[in-house]
Amino acid sequence: MSVDSIFLLKLLTAAILLATPLLLAALGELVVEKSGVLNLGVEGMMLIGALFGYIAAYNLQTITCLEELVPGFCQKEERVFTFADYIIALLAAATAGALLAAVFGFLTQGLRANHVAVGLGLSILGAGLSNSLGSNFFGVNYTSVQVADHPEVFGKDALVWFSLAAVPTIWYVLQRTRLGLVIRAVGENHDSAYALGYRVSRIRFYCILFGGAMAGLAGAFIVLVHVDWKEGVTVGKGWLALALILFGTWRPMRVLCGAYIFGLLWASELRLDNLFPAWQLEWKTLLTTAPYLLTIIVLVLISRNPRMIRQNAPASLGKPFNPPS
Amino acid sequence: MITLERRANVTHWTSLRSIGIALIITMLVSVLVLFIMSDQPAQAIWQMLTFPWQGRRMEVQLGLVLQQTAYLATIAIGLSVGFRANVWNIGAEGQFALGSIGAYTGYLLLGSPETLWALPAILAAGMIGGCLWALIPAALRVTCNTNELLTSLMLVYIGGHLLTYLCIGPWKGDPKAGQAETYPLPDSLRPATLISGTELHAGLFILLVAFIILAAILLFTLLGYRLRVAQHTPRAERFAGFSPNNTVWMSFAISGAMAGLAGAVYMTAETGKLIQAENYLENFGFAAIVIAFLGRLNPIGILLAAFMISYVNVGASYIQAALRVDDSVADLIEVAALFSFLGTATLDQYQLKFTRTLRKSRGPEVLS
Repeated sequence: MSVDSIFLLKLLTAAILLATPLLLAALGELVVEKSGVLNLGVEGMMLIGALFGYIAAYNLQTITCLEELVPGFCQKEERVFTFADYIIALLAAATAGALLAAVFGFLTQGLRANHVAVGLGLSILGAGLSNSLGSNFFGVNYTSVQVADHPEVFGKDALVWFSLAAVPTIWYVLQRTRLGLVIRAVGENHDSAYALGYRVSRIRFYCILFGGAMAGLAGAFIVLVHVDWKEGVTVGKGWLALALILFGTWRPMRVLCGAYIFGLLWASELRLDNLFPAWQLEWKTLLTTAPYLLTIIVLVLISRNPRMIRQNAPASLGKPFNPPS
Repeated sequence: MITLERRANVTHWTSLRSIGIALIITMLVSVLVLFIMSDQPAQAIWQMLTFPWQGRRMEVQLGLVLQQTAYLATIAIGLSVGFRANVWNIGAEGQFALGSIGAYTGYLLLGSPETLWALPAILAAGMIGGCLWALIPAALRVTCNTNELLTSLMLVYIGGHLLTYLCIGPWKGDPKAGQAETYPLPDSLRPATLISGTELHAGLFILLVAFIILAAILLFTLLGYRLRVAQHTPRAERFAGFSPNNTVWMSFAISGAMAGLAGAVYMTAETGKLIQAENYLENFGFAAIVIAFLGRLNPIGILLAAFMISYVNVGASYIQAALRVDDSVADLIEVAALFSFLGTATLDQYQLKFTRTLRKSRGPEVLS
């Protein structure tokens, strides 16, 4: 292989690593928004998922000290990290994300609080909780813990394939099944759906739980496959996932394309060091703003066509629902 | 089965009661958090409540609390203008950074003056900086219908990197410093300390004046009335001849200017120079969002909420030093307060009604 093709291959691998968490979180949030709820807590749920996935994997990988039980007996033994362990870690992350989402669901659906305010609070809560639990668990000045190699399927992580398979599945469920029709009905016009006898709040609550679980998986992917756990490890990916849904105008296929475009751009920006080693540090600092700048530009281009938004956006998105009593 | 039922008459008494319930929930959760996070929970709770009197000088700790209160309340009241009208500016952190940059730009443009008379111009430059940065999402919202929530948030990250860039690149100061920073302002230019040894300085008075002016505008003028109309019924706003676009422009301009002023005062009084973003920004802009909602978007409520949160924040860092409790307890208490206040706000207009569950009958049942 020539140098160029090796470079391209590396770039593509990096792009997949960056795009998969975006895609997972965005798909979960897509279902939530289709049911008419705007959950701005994606970043917080990703962080909590990341922490719990990491803790679970860490505990499964090493049998730690039993000193409290047997004095003088301390054995730190490495275990082979199997595929089953990986699934358990992912389930832990998804559960943690869903539990945090349940808080959001209780406040917005049960108590009818403002979606935006609770969502922002959820992001702060996720960051605070993961920082405090993380420093409690690993100690304030812990050195990074190496989670064993993640099991791979066809040369890529299993979660990559899962995220790719989720795209057509979610499209099919939303567009072609009764369940999807109910979710969309609730999101388009909650009053009519309520009049038809659907339990709007309950359906939305389940969608919120699904979104939380997907965000938890996205966080787990970051720490299990890409980088080690540290405070604020998601670096704003949850917010980019929210922008991606606008970019994809609430369509799973477009969200997929958007996630990979973002991943590729982000990866090539990270590799600029190799391309232009002579560039100064100050210019690199400015270049790290590129993904955020790009998000703004894309949002502007998408939103300039109001028909696109109006045709695809769920009509009751973020509107308070007060059932007639 | 518990259902919510709309209250027939809403009085001040009902909203006071729901605030009381929220405070009690917050305290219970805070005690729970301290019990989990600390080895000596009783001592942690006691020190958290009474930390200003634990040290040798009470005014030092109280000064820290009041200092934070001033910054948080100033930014939060600016944000509340937009939140009332459903305009979501969540980028106050970036506007704070740009306020600091604007102030330093003003200082350089004036030719690095040494007299205190240049300070108003420098602060004004900071206000303009924050205001212009906030007008970017406003302009995009008005012209291209872009979601202002996401754009203002993205501009936080961009503003932070811009600050770091300026400290590394064009305005790089002392290369021997442990962090990237600019050359400091002369001491003669910085607001004077009021009580020696404390963090109370004249800059906080400027923030207080700005807060009072904006609070008076919101409470007593036609402009404030117009914003309250926009909050409750967007349709009525249009019937009354107020343009939604103007509301967007105005709320972003005001919140940006307030955050910019806070940033400018912070730069001149606390640090005296610009520092790379990680060591400079203290998340005031994000905490202010929480405070705006805790205060129910009401100026007096915001002041009380800012004091409460600052007290918790400073107390958390006190017990971190004294008892080795991680200071992220402050974040957890802050969010517990936010959620209980948001959750109980519903009880202002609705009351809980306990009803017996009506079981769905599946076809006619035979009575025996």
